[in-house]
Amino acid sequence: MRELPEKENVLSKRLNKLLETRVENDHDTLEALKELSTFYCDNSLQARRNLRSQIEKRSLQINENFLSEFREVKESFDSIYNDIADMSKSLEDMTLRLQNAKRQTKHLLEQTSSYENEIAKNEMQQKVATAFLNKFILTHEELVALHGNKQKRDLVITPEIFVVLDKVQRIHNDCKTLMQSGYQTLALDVMEQMTLHQEGALERLYHWTQNHCRNVENLTDLLTQAMCRLQDRPVLFKYVIDEYCISRRAVLVGEFIDALTRGGPSGNPAPIEMRAHDPHVYVTDILVWLNKAIPIENQNLHLLVSLCNKEDKYELLTNAMASICEGICHPLKIRIDKILNASTQSSSLYAITNLIRYYKKSIGKVSEGGLLALTLSELQEKSEQIFLIALQQQVSNCLVRVETPPRDLSPTPAINHLLSVMRDMLSTASMSEGRETDMGKIVQCVLDPLLRAVNEQSSRLPPTDMAVYMLNCMYAMQTCLSLYEFMDDKLERLQAQSDAQLDTLTSEQASSLVANLNLGPIYTILQDHAHAPLSGIPGMEPGNLRNFLSKLDMLVSLPDSMLLQQIHLLSSSKHKKSVQKRAFDVLLAIYKQLYEGVYDANNLYENPASILPRTPSELMKMLS
Amino acid sequence: MSAGPYNYSYIFKYIIIGDMGVGKSCLLHQFTEKKFMSDCPHTIGVEFGTRIIEVAGQKIKLQIWDTAGQERFRAVTRSYYRGAAGALMVYDITRRSTYNHLSSWLTDTRNLTNPSTVIFLIGNKCDLEGQRDVTYEEAKQFADENGLMFVEASAKTGQNVEEAFLETARKIYQSIQDGRLDLNAAESGVQHKPSQPGRNTLSNDQQFNKDNCAC
Ligand SMILES: Nc1nc2c(ncn2[C@@H]2O[C@H](COP(=O)(O)OP(=O)(O)O)[C@@H](O)[C@H]2O)c(=O)[nH]1
Ligand SMILES: [Mg+2]
Repeated sequence: MRELPEKENVLSKRLNKLLETRVENDHDTLEALKELSTFYCDNSLQARRNLRSQIEKRSLQINENFLSEFREVKESFDSIYNDIADMSKSLEDMTLRLQNAKRQTKHLLEQTSSYENEIAKNEMQQKVATAFLNKFILTHEELVALHGNKQKRDLVITPEIFVVLDKVQRIHNDCKTLMQSGYQTLALDVMEQMTLHQEGALERLYHWTQNHCRNVENLTDLLTQAMCRLQDRPVLFKYVIDEYCISRRAVLVGEFIDALTRGGPSGNPAPIEMRAHDPHVYVTDILVWLNKAIPIENQNLHLLVSLCNKEDKYELLTNAMASICEGICHPLKIRIDKILNASTQSSSLYAITNLIRYYKKSIGKVSEGGLLALTLSELQEKSEQIFLIALQQQVSNCLVRVETPPRDLSPTPAINHLLSVMRDMLSTASMSEGRETDMGKIVQCVLDPLLRAVNEQSSRLPPTDMAVYMLNCMYAMQTCLSLYEFMDDKLERLQAQSDAQLDTLTSEQASSLVANLNLGPIYTILQDHAHAPLSGIPGMEPGNLRNFLSKLDMLVSLPDSMLLQQIHLLSSSKHKKSVQKRAFDVLLAIYKQLYEGVYDANNLYENPASILPRTPSELMKMLS
Repeated sequence: MSAGPYNYSYIFKYIIIGDMGVGKSCLLHQFTEKKFMSDCPHTIGVEFGTRIIEVAGQKIKLQIWDTAGQERFRAVTRSYYRGAAGALMVYDITRRSTYNHLSSWLTDTRNLTNPSTVIFLIGNKCDLEGQRDVTYEEAKQFADENGLMFVEASAKTGQNVEEAFLETARKIYQSIQDGRLDLNAAESGVQHKPSQPGRNTLSNDQQFNKDNCAC
């Protein structure tokens, strides 16, 4: 190789560089060569000369291509630009619109939230309204329970009505709270409605109750509840009670008349009037029947109002019972009157009086006041009166003829009969209610006329007979009356009258004794003698005294021998003993005086012991 | 007799005598019931009345026999004189005959009663001043002469009725206090209650009927 100068150097360097360049590694060069190979096909001079121009031409063409291509790009860009401009414009538009929309939306949101609030509020209100409806308005079922089914017009009452009525009442009460909470109009409306419901329901209840009240035994629950509801409506309540009373009154009268005339089912028990011939049984049966029927009425009536707690319930029941019992008064009165007017037997009248009294009291415990009490009182009074009149009549019939006392001076048959009548009557009376008054009246009716009759009869007898007869009669009366209480006054009178007769009798007996013993003259001498010795007075000689003494001996041996004959007829041995003793006392007193006289030395009796061997006390012992 | 405790210390027995119709029953009724009984039935034999009064602080029960004035009951009524402590002898100031019979009634009374029996003369019906037939003075003189106490009274108005009964009781009570009246005598007409159970203690004078006595 040749080495060239500098120039050659540069050239070499370049060449070197070229040589050093590894074409296969130079990507660009490879690409370029590849490209070049596409159009440089023949390596001719021409071709080499033209290469340049060819390349240039090619470059131009490429540039021209590029230009035209670019133009297209540019055009595209332009169109894009236009599009974008359009877009921007429409975006602007949109933004504008969005802004608009945004503004509008805000309003909308506000509206929405306000609607939401409203919805919440409405929901709340709805809840309140539902609650209100539940609480203050009745359901259909409830309305039916209250007022019945309008179409069916059925009158059946179910126990629900009471539940609903309670509710109505509760609503009514709640309305007050409602009112206080400021809902006055509403509250008043509801209240009015409830009042209407209540009135309507009570009216319905009233009609039903009025129709069914007589069946209280079967419809107890509904009826008692209905009555309890109605008690706050005094007028309706009273109507029901009135209706009840009217219907029960009719039933009671019917049953009473049936019991009287028809008897029980198939004649058992027999009709009460079958036994009308026996006043006592008849009146008993009638009163027993009433005494059984009326308490049942009372029970049912009490049942009807058992749930009521009205203040005047007691009065109401009393009046109602009186009203129920009104009907039976007339038939009762007619029958008892008839019996009273027909019976003449005082004992049976008295028994009837006591029956009426007893049952009046018994029935009075169940139904006081009213026509029944009045009727029973009248009947009682009447029967008492008729009884006393009959008794007086009986007594005066018995005593119309003044009987002569029998020889044994015992009470005459009429006296005995009336005493036994009185005894029987007093026995009954002593067990009766107003026994003191009764017994007083009976005794007055019998005893006073009896005493008058005895006086009348006695007035025809000699004194001793009179005294004995009277004593026997008084004794019989005393014996009769002493069995009973409240007789002190009468017994006192009888005793005083007996005492007077005993005095009379004693006096008679003593006189007779003195006469029989020839003691009269001796007694007179003993009373009158002055200072002269007794033995010298005629009639007082020992001999005469011995005459008296022998008679006295007879008396001592037979103390009864010198009793007046009538004394033996005394029915009371006590009377007899008393008369005898008191008469002997008189005798003993005289004997004592005589004894003292005989033993008195001044009287100059010799050996007094031989004249009067017995001392007065010895004689007393012998005579007693 | 009453079994209960006695609420009185004495029983005084009275008898009312006089002609029929002078008002004896009415006087008794007025005294015991404080009422005038205008249609009083005739007394048959005797009627009886009681009342408790008070004399000198002592309760005294009066047992009063009202007698029939009719002659036919004389035997019956005689029995009641014997035990009387007081006798009210009644005439009717409008009927002189009833006054004229007083001496006979007085004799009876004196014969049949105790000497200590207090006799009180009553001129009844003094309300009928217009029909007066016996002057007060005349009757008063009769009473004085016979040692009787005397008032004019009216069973109708009640005038002096109490006085007559009470004055008699006071006089009897006085006699008891003075010892003039022997309580033990059966015929005293006075019983002591309750210590004196019966009338069994007897004094013997006048124990037998003087009429029947052969002396
Ligand atoms: N004016 C008047 N009438 C009298 C009075 N006392 C009795 N009477 C009447 O006299 C009548 C006879 O009375 P009564 O007491 O039965 O008399 P007695 O027979 O003595 O019991 C009766 O009609 C009485 O009404 C009186 O004080 N004044
Ligand atoms: Mg009289």
